[in-house]
Formats: sequence, structure tokens, C-alpha cells
Amino acid sequence: MTTRQITVAHLYPDVMSSYGDRGNVAAIVRRCRWRDVGVTVTELRPGDKVVPADLDLIVIGGGGEPQQRQIAADLYKVKGGAIRDAVAAGTAALAVGEGYELFGRFCQPDKGAELRGIELFDSWTIRGRVADVGAAHQDRATARPRTDPAVRDLVVRWDGGLLVGFENSSGRTYLGPDAVPLGRVISGRGNNGDGSEGVCLGGAIGTNMRGPCLPANPALADFLISVALCRRYGTADLSPLADDLELAARATAMQRTVLTARRRALTWPLRKQASPPASGAGAVPPRLGNHARAGMHR
Amino acid sequence: MSSGRAATLSWAASARAAIARSSRQATRGYGRAAFRPGSVLVTGSSGKGTTCHLVAQVLRAAGLHPVVAATGASPWSGVADALLTRKRTGRRRNDPRAIGLVEVDAAALPGLVRRVRHPAALVCTNILGGQPDDNPADTALPALLERAMRSLPATTTLILNADDPRVAELAPDLPNPRLYFGMSDPVHGRVRPDPTAEVARCPRCGSQLSYARAYYAHLGHWACGRCCLSRPEPDVTVTKIGLVGSSSSRLQVKTTSAKAVLEVPLPGMYNAYNALAAVAVAKHLGMPAWSLRAIDNASGGPMRMERTHAAGHEVLLAVATNATGYSEVLRAILGDGEPRRMLLGLSTRRRQPDVSWIWDVDFEALAGLVPAPIVCGNRAADLGVRLKYAGWLGDGRHQGQSAGATIEPDPIRAVRAAIADTPPGQPLWIVSTATALAEIRRWLLQLDDVPDQAAGLAGQNRDSGRAGGRVATRLTRPRFAGPRIAASRPTRPRLAGAGLGGAQPSGPQPSAPPRSAALSPALPPSRARPDRGDRPGRSARPGQAGAAR
Repeated sequence: MTTRQITVAHLYPDVMSSYGDRGNVAAIVRRCRWRDVGVTVTELRPGDKVVPADLDLIVIGGGGEPQQRQIAADLYKVKGGAIRDAVAAGTAALAVGEGYELFGRFCQPDKGAELRGIELFDSWTIRGRVADVGAAHQDRATARPRTDPAVRDLVVRWDGGLLVGFENSSGRTYLGPDAVPLGRVISGRGNNGDGSEGVCLGGAIGTNMRGPCLPANPALADFLISVALCRRYGTADLSPLADDLELAARATAMQRTVLTARRRALTWPLRKQASPPASGAGAVPPRLGNHARAGMHR
Repeated sequence: MSSGRAATLSWAASARAAIARSSRQATRGYGRAAFRPGSVLVTGSSGKGTTCHLVAQVLRAAGLHPVVAATGASPWSGVADALLTRKRTGRRRNDPRAIGLVEVDAAALPGLVRRVRHPAALVCTNILGGQPDDNPADTALPALLERAMRSLPATTTLILNADDPRVAELAPDLPNPRLYFGMSDPVHGRVRPDPTAEVARCPRCGSQLSYARAYYAHLGHWACGRCCLSRPEPDVTVTKIGLVGSSSSRLQVKTTSAKAVLEVPLPGMYNAYNALAAVAVAKHLGMPAWSLRAIDNASGGPMRMERTHAAGHEVLLAVATNATGYSEVLRAILGDGEPRRMLLGLSTRRRQPDVSWIWDVDFEALAGLVPAPIVCGNRAADLGVRLKYAGWLGDGRHQGQSAGATIEPDPIRAVRAAIADTPPGQPLWIVSTATALAEIRRWLLQLDDVPDQAAGLAGQNRDSGRAGGRVATRLTRPRFAGPRIAASRPTRPRLAGAGLGGAQPSGPQPSAPPRSAALSPALPPSRARPDRGDRPGRSARPGQAGAAR
């Protein structure tokens, strides 16, 4: 068997890596090596150019808002066009969190000017108080109103299976008419609470699942690897791996989700009294994942 | 049915509120008295607990009565606890030798600073990177600390880590005197900061910092290429570190006026920093040089490389709550390249689903040193996946099979299994996040074969007489032994010329804090800490007795 080889580009590994995003790259590298597929990881920092012909897989992680602002201009000016060309030519891509937001059309931060995205996905993001009026609550540490980030487990139905991740996003991403969501939300918020999560464009995937999503979802990792192999060799036959630990981690995450949903359902009347909606919009913003909770108790 | 449950829940909520209220009241009643002018606040991302513990031992050796309050995210529980403990020990409220030592989370610092009048010093150990949601390292945490610092009186000394660019440049325009501590060892340290540490940026201009030497995470000799800001010259420094395996380290400490060699019984670079911070505090408070010997026999506090015994094995507990902490603890234990038996733990509270920081822990560099690790905690499976992808569970020839790891979420069952698996005579290391480790520790201390450890711990733990069986002595009024000086109070306990207190940091002198009159140059050290009948745990310890002579 000839040794196969793919090249992975990790964009801004120093900056966009707030949620252990190097874990995504580690997952791809390990899963390829376990199958005797060689992997070369090129780390692309600000100023480095993307060469579409060389790349089989592009990975960008999530960062904070300052980190996103720091790289946005470089991503748009230096790398944007090349990434679009590469994906059009069949390269796989994984964009997580803030990276996903910048792979869309634009991102409007809480304060300051909007950041231009590279327009790979037909999506846009609005962040902060503009996004969810009324969901503001008092931050205990800073005693200032702070928008409610969705910090919770996220379970998504994808391709006949389930994806499990962790979301922490104060932004809301909206998909345009051309965009295909990655999956349907079972629990969590997803893109903006409308039940869709992420975006999928050929072999390119954008997602809100942080806290590296590939080790927890071996199927998604294998999907990206097979897209990358198909681009290079036209075919991808991946031998199955023993994913017992990964499946155990997923199972505990699902269990946690179910417990959280039950608890939230039980304490719903109490919480409704305890936290009246802030003044402003008048209507209670849709608490996220209500439909999922309702589904679980049916 | 559902109303019954609602009633139960609301009862629990009101009970919680009542407890919170009573602890606030306890604080209100005693807070002013406990934290009189002259207390020391210790804050930072990590190492504040150990630093507090070490400072307390130095102060005790010097004859003061430190009142240690460990406050977590909510300051009042810890303060109230310390005050109740202090009440139990039977000291007078206006004990002239009492000195407050408050370990406070950075998030709670602004609130606490308002309640503590005229602190003698604010110590900031480090600001490590965290998740953007809970502590955004680049913006919010330094901003919080700066806000707290600006509300301090101008006499409070800021004791800062010179090697941490985020800490060294906190509120540079404040008139407060500053005392810097930092490493100057030319041998240790790497040329580049950790690959897993986030890139440090210049606190003034935001460009990337360059390092001549990095000791751990982003701590080191930093300089900014663009605006020429660089690490301030430390007043208290370590000129030579000898890291002695996984048990202790030897530090050559140098201050502006004195030199000393310390044998710190805690391993690792991060503990060297903690000891250094403790020395800086002791220097600032004017403690004599001999009182630093107390560090030689110190422990790091509960769960900080704490030694216990179980079923004939030595068991060592180390807590690690963030990526840098986990990396450094593992590095300290496995740094000598010897394989060790280890139980790793990862647990979160239910409001925090995020454990992605484990992917920033440098497990890869230590692969192969822990044969068949046992993993516990409610997120054990996630840690297991991390270890698998770090190559800890054998290489991938078995197609990614998890050969050798045991995943056991229940900490007690896991520690039982680990003890059973450990070959006789070998120590077992337990590294975990706080929740699981606290459970393990409670279980270990309940075991019958560790009475000495339990007693020793309780004696060292905080300023307490918590070890049971002394109710009668607690209830007696304290016999006041020692000089009673009420009218004229010198500004600060200081042994002129005898120790580290000779040179003070530059800047205006902290004028006020009349805290303790007990120590005077004329007082021989042996009398400074008279043996008192109601403190059996204290006088039984050989270390401090030896140090005081």
C-alpha cells in the first residue's frame, strides 16, 4: 500500500486557539497516522500566503473578540481569496467559533466597526447587545450588564448521527438563502436559536462547536480527512478505528445534556419568577433550546 | 406534586440566602477588626494559596499571628471562616500581633479592597491565560486588578511579579511603592515561551514580546521590540535554582540587602515563584532573615503537593485547575524522566461544561512516563480522549485502541483501584482539579492509618485549632503572654539591620499601618513566640521551633 500524504494548514495557531483548538489539528494528525496516512501541518501566521494547490485541509479555531479583530484584516486581505479558491477546488475546511464568523460575509462586534469576512459561507454574525436585547444580565465580576453567552453543551443531528460539542458564543449567526446548515440542533443554541447549527459547503464546515470538536466527534474528523484524501487521490478508503474512549466521552456529554434539560424543565417556573426580563424589548427572548426540552418530555 | 418540589427548591434557596446573609453579618461584625490596617492581600491567577501559606509560616516563625482567609470567588465565606476560626482560637480581637493574610480571587478583589482598610501590601503572583468567557486574560483580568489597585490608598505597596508582563505593568502611573520579584537564574528556563502558552503581548503597545529566557508559561525575561518596554529589575530575586527531582528545590534568594539559601520542600518552577513571592512579602514586612527558614519546613497547604499515606503507600496530592497549572504540576512530577504511577482527575461543576483547556496542557512532551494512568472525575472520558491523542495510551499501531488506561469517573473508586494497582513501596501521585481531589483527600484523611497526617495537617492548616478534642481549652479565656504595648506603636515590626527589612522599596513609605507592636529589636526571637498551652499542634512541630532559635 502506497503511503498517502495530506497537507493541513492551521491558520493563526497562536492567536485563534482559545478553546484548545490545537486539539482539532491533533485529532486529524493522529487519526491519519493511525491509518498510515502522512500529515504535514503548515502553520500560517499573519502575513503568510495560502497556496491553494498545496492544501488539502484548512483549519481555523476560535478566539476571543480581540483576537478576532487582530487577524480579521489579514485574513480578508492576504488569505481570503486563496481560501475561497481552495475550497472551490475541493479542499476541506473546518472553521470554529470566531473563525467561522470570519469565514462568512461579515461580523458585527458589540462595539466598533464591523469586520469583513472572506465570504466563503453565505452567513453573517451579529454579536452582543445588538443581538439579544433583553437577555442582558448583571455580570457579578464587573457589575456591568453583560449579554448572555450561550455556554452549554450543544448536540446536533448530522448526517444520520449526532455531533456533541460545547458552545460559548455571544454572537448570533444568520444563514443566507444559499447556505446549507451543518445540522439540526437537538440541545443548545446553535447558530441563532432557530434550530440550525453551523454551515456546510462541500467539504468546508463552519461550526459553533468548540472545545475541540473533532476529538469528540470522530465521524466529523473522518469526514474531513476523507474529503482531503479525495481531493488528493480521488478516493478515500478509511479503515475504521476503535473509538471507544471518544464514544464514552460523547455518551457522558449526552447524559449531561439530558440531565440539564430535565433540571431546567423542573425549575422553569422558579426561574421565570426569579429573573424577569430586562426592560426594553418587552418580550422574553426565546430561551434557547425550548423546543428541544419540549421534545424530551413528550 | 410539582408544587411540592417547588417548595423544596425554594426552601433550599432561602436556606442558601440565609447562610449567605449570616456570613455577611459575621463579616460585618468582625471584618473591620480582623483586617485592621496592615494586612496583606494576595491575588493572581495561580499560586496565591501557596504563597499565603508560606508567608503565614514565615510570620508565625517571626512571632506574629497571621489570620489567613482563603477566599474564593465569593470573598465573604472565606473571611467569615477565618474569623470564626480566629474566635475559636481564643485570641483577643485587638491582638497586637495579628496580621491579616487574605487570599483573594482577582474577580472578588475590587469588592474586598473596599472592606480592608489600609492594607500593607497587595501581592499579585501572575495572570495566566484562561478561557475568554470566564477570565479574559488579555483584557478583563488586568483591568479588574487595575481598578482594584486604583482604589487602594497610596501607601499600600504593590508586590508584583516582574517576570509576568501583564502583572509588572499594572497601573504604571500609580504613586504606590512597588516591589518587584523575579527569577534571575541563568541556567534554567527555555529560550522560547511554552508552545502551548498563549502569545504574550506588550501591555503598552500590543506588539508581540520577545523573550531572552522563559521560565514557565509566559513568565520570563521579556522585552518589547517596538516600544522598548522591558521587564523591570526585581528587588527580590533568585540567582540560582536547583530543582531537586520531584520533591523539593533549592533557591539562592537575593534581596537588595541580604542573601539566603532556601530549601523549598515543594517541587517545580511555579513553587519557586511562590516561595519567591513569600520572600518578597517577608522582606516588605521587615521580617528577620532567620524567619525565612520556616519555608524550609513549610508545606504548600492542603492539596498542594501534599503527602499522605494510604495502605502503606505514599500518596501525593497536587491540585491543578488550569492548563498552565496542569502542565507545570506534571512537569514538576515527571521532570526527571522517571516513570511514575499516577491518577489523573478532571471534574467540573455543572455550570461549567467547558474543559477545552486540557488541550492546552502539554501532555505530549510527557508521553510514556505514566504507564497505565487511571483517570477519574465527572469529565474523565474527556481527559481519557486527551491522553489518547497525546500518545499516552500507546501508539496508534493498535488503531487507536485505548490500551492501558482505566476510566473511572467516581474518584473514590478510582483511588481505591489506583492504590491496589500501585506496586508496594512506590508512591502514587494524584493530580486533579479541585472538586475531585477534595473528595479524594477527604476520603484519604478518613482512613484509619493516617492519624498523624491528619493531625499535622489540621495543625498547619490556616490559623486554626481545628483538630478535635480541645473544646475545653478553646473555651478558656486566652492567657495573654507577651509584651502588652498599647500606647505607643511603632510603624511596623522590624528588626533593624538584622534581616531583610533594612532596605525598603523605592517610593513613599507606607506611613500608617500601626499593626503590631509585639516585635521590637530588643525582643529575642525565642520569646517572640511563647509556647501557649492552647496551641498544642503548633509547638509540636519541630521545624518552627528550630527555625526560631
